[in-house]
Amino acid sequence: MAYYILKRLLAMIPTLLGVAVLIFVLLRIVPGDVVEARYLGQGSQFQSQELMDLERKKLGLDQPLWTQFTTWMAGLARLDFGLSMWTGSPITEEIKLRFALSLQLAIMASIFAQLLAIPLGILAALKQDTWVDYAVRVFSIAGLAMPSFWLGILMILTMLIVFKWVPPMVFTPLWVNPWENLAQLIWPALAVGYRYSAVGTRMMRSAMLEVLREDYIRTARAKGLWLKLILARHALKNAILPVLTVMSLEFAFLLGGLVVTEQVFNLNGLGMLFVEAIARRDYTLTQALVMLVATFFLIVNFVVDIAYAWLDPRIRYR
Amino acid sequence: MATLLDVRDLKTTFLTSSGVVRAVDGVSWDIEEGETVALVGESGCGKSVSALSVMRLVDEPAGRIESGEIVYKGRDLLKLSEEQMRHVRGREIGMIFQEPMTSLNPVLSIGRQLTEGLEIHMGMKPPEARSRAVEMLAMVGIPDPERRLGQYPHHFSGGMRQRMMIAMALACNPSLILADEPTTALDVTIQAQILELMRDLARRLGVAMLIITHNLGVVARYADRVNVMYAGRIIEQASATELYANPRHPYTLGLLRSVPRLDEPRRARLDPIEGQPPDLTRLPEGCAFAPRCAYRVERCGEVPSLVALGAGHRSACWEAERLVKELAA
Repeated sequence: MAYYILKRLLAMIPTLLGVAVLIFVLLRIVPGDVVEARYLGQGSQFQSQELMDLERKKLGLDQPLWTQFTTWMAGLARLDFGLSMWTGSPITEEIKLRFALSLQLAIMASIFAQLLAIPLGILAALKQDTWVDYAVRVFSIAGLAMPSFWLGILMILTMLIVFKWVPPMVFTPLWVNPWENLAQLIWPALAVGYRYSAVGTRMMRSAMLEVLREDYIRTARAKGLWLKLILARHALKNAILPVLTVMSLEFAFLLGGLVVTEQVFNLNGLGMLFVEAIARRDYTLTQALVMLVATFFLIVNFVVDIAYAWLDPRIRYR
Repeated sequence: MATLLDVRDLKTTFLTSSGVVRAVDGVSWDIEEGETVALVGESGCGKSVSALSVMRLVDEPAGRIESGEIVYKGRDLLKLSEEQMRHVRGREIGMIFQEPMTSLNPVLSIGRQLTEGLEIHMGMKPPEARSRAVEMLAMVGIPDPERRLGQYPHHFSGGMRQRMMIAMALACNPSLILADEPTTALDVTIQAQILELMRDLARRLGVAMLIITHNLGVVARYADRVNVMYAGRIIEQASATELYANPRHPYTLGLLRSVPRLDEPRRARLDPIEGQPPDLTRLPEGCAFAPRCAYRVERCGEVPSLVALGAGHRSACWEAERLVKELAA
């Protein structure tokens, strides 16, 4: 097992290297660079080739691509992301707070989604083809059909009109004031989590239906176990595997993919930062963000694979 | 010996897309304490459904026990609440299923699957249940039981899984075991081992057993009494020796003639029963076996009832007497 973990961790390196090459090349294929974005912005009349060249020289953009890449890689190897090309401040500083916010939001949305998906999926499977099942299915389809930002707008409007209350606008980290922080993040977490739960609910329902038809469930019933024990011990452990896969991939996506929702709730998360960084051709920041999200995906996948082995004894890694 | 289980006029139906299937259509059979009874017939004749009905494990809502009585130790199981029935399952009546490969939970350890019944029905604490589980595994002939408890079904071969199923069914000292084709999925050599084991344990522990099988060889060797089923009905009942010596139903005769025998001179070919088992949604009027029967007469348009023909021998055939005479001739 230790050998397997080591092997998996080492295998992440070539994957990340591939991601690095890809994003490096893609960014440079996109027309324009950070200097042009800054000086030739909307309606700007300012054009000085010398000044722009000087700027590029300062940022190292005059160097051959190969040198730029190796410099970046050398920095990454030391976990040094460098400076943002746009703001000039260290990228670690730029990302830190936003990463904390996005991660917290992703985790909260995930918890909420699981709390919704697993019981609802089981309930729907148990009450298959009754009104309970239909209600759950409508509820989860609605979650899929409704964009979370729209649900977010509804939430904010409801709070504003009915309760005359607006969540605080300035982000408070969890470690500063947990209460205020939760009051702020609970709403986007609910909006995102609801949508996210829909896939899980449907997955849970179908996996449960399949497992409940298995012979070993009949064996468990023939042993005289009560229903709750059969569900919790015999069925759930078998049915949760596909749900885990789907939910974990969605979870990884939540970290950087909530651009619009962040905007609706006025949150400075990674999603917004991503869009801004690309729009400004901030090569270093975009690259750092892509690497961060890619690493996160790999880690989540890795953790899920380990969880698989823990849930299903037939799966053994060597 | 007292009657342990008395099934009376049991009717179980299934609602399918092609209509109502009368899987079990008014069958009556009983088991005495410590006795081994066989339920024999082709696939789909209602043997398994009979056993599942006793356990009240017929898949609802499609399957339904329509009527009848299942009297176990004086109580009608069909009148019990689900919670009362739960105390019967596993504790009073154990069940062994056909497919050892799929009937054990792949993600739970052997120990867990063995001890849970003990903890629930016998109120044992985990260490006590564990030592009982070790004892049970040793009893069914699994070597190194202590270590085996921590293993999972995929570490076990088919024969060992079936041994484990037997251990599970016997764990709470039930009075009755329902074995639904317990050896069909196993290799022939293993089949004999498992059946011997079941017989020895049943005798040693005084457990009554219902063996469901399509294998008449199994019946001859292991059963005291036999019920032959065809298309949801019992068509002949007799003690095992009597059934082999004097079959009184053309279907039983057909079954016996289609069994290859090693102890007789080799015949050129087996005599199979012509035709196919009937579609249970479209049963013929009258005797369901009539379309395939060589002894068919006009009267077979009416359903024959089980008639006693001697000590414990009953047959549902209008021409039972003619059959006897022709066989004697």
